[in-house]
Amino acid sequence: MKREISDRNILDKFVLDFCRVIEKHTDYIIVSGFVAIASGRTRGTEDIDMIIPRTNFEKFGEIHNELIKNNFICMQSDNSKEIYEYLEENMSIRYTNKDKPLPEMEVKFAKDKLDYLQLKTKIKLPLTGIDVWFSSINMNLAFKEEYLKSSKDIEDAEHLRTVYEELVNETEINEIKKLIRELRL
Amino acid sequence: MRDKTHMEQVKRWANYVRNNPDWKKIHTEFINAQFEKAYQAIEKISKMPNGKEKIKKLYGIKNEKGYPSIFLKK
Repeated sequence: MKREISDRNILDKFVLDFCRVIEKHTDYIIVSGFVAIASGRTRGTEDIDMIIPRTNFEKFGEIHNELIKNNFICMQSDNSKEIYEYLEENMSIRYTNKDKPLPEMEVKFAKDKLDYLQLKTKIKLPLTGIDVWFSSINMNLAFKEEYLKSSKDIEDAEHLRTVYEELVNETEINEIKKLIRELRL
Repeated sequence: MRDKTHMEQVKRWANYVRNNPDWKKIHTEFINAQFEKAYQAIEKISKMPNGKEKIKKLYGIKNEKGYPSIFLKK
């Protein structure tokens, strides 16, 4: 199958710029809707979801400062201590490009074994044309079909199942779904 | 829940993505058009009565300094 990338859209550029900063400091994965959208799903989104491992305040401060230097803004605050408190409480912090409220990157700390498993099994998806780490297709399918379950998520899952037919592993998906039931439901 | 014709279209497009390298160009135009419309809407809303407050509420902005062209412009 011949695949080539003709150009990048606004979301692709935003994600690439953001990940280039993050990857200098920590591991990360892009999860959920953007995995489907970057893989060709035609639907709107304003936010991209990122999970990073828990870090201490000092290290987070370095990441935040470099994001600011690279023209990103945290929507909640400029104060890194205040922002870090959101993360510690397992809430998202949201960054956009300076002076543009859209699109936004929602960053969360990994909160349990499942999130760390997602980080451990991260993959790159050449079809997307962007060189960033995504959570695996099987992981995305399990979350969308077992946990999120909205019409939008079920359609995302169907899109991913068709586009990445070769990567779909039902045994692995069922194991992840079992973990989701144990840890999240 | 949307009817089955919607899911059929999702599958049809997914197959197009699998088999046609030009999908990215079509997709890029689609994604970019959404943002262009959103940026135009933000510009218009900011000029409405109480528009800046509406934008703060719509996007959950607490850090106004980060968006000077919206919040610091007279």
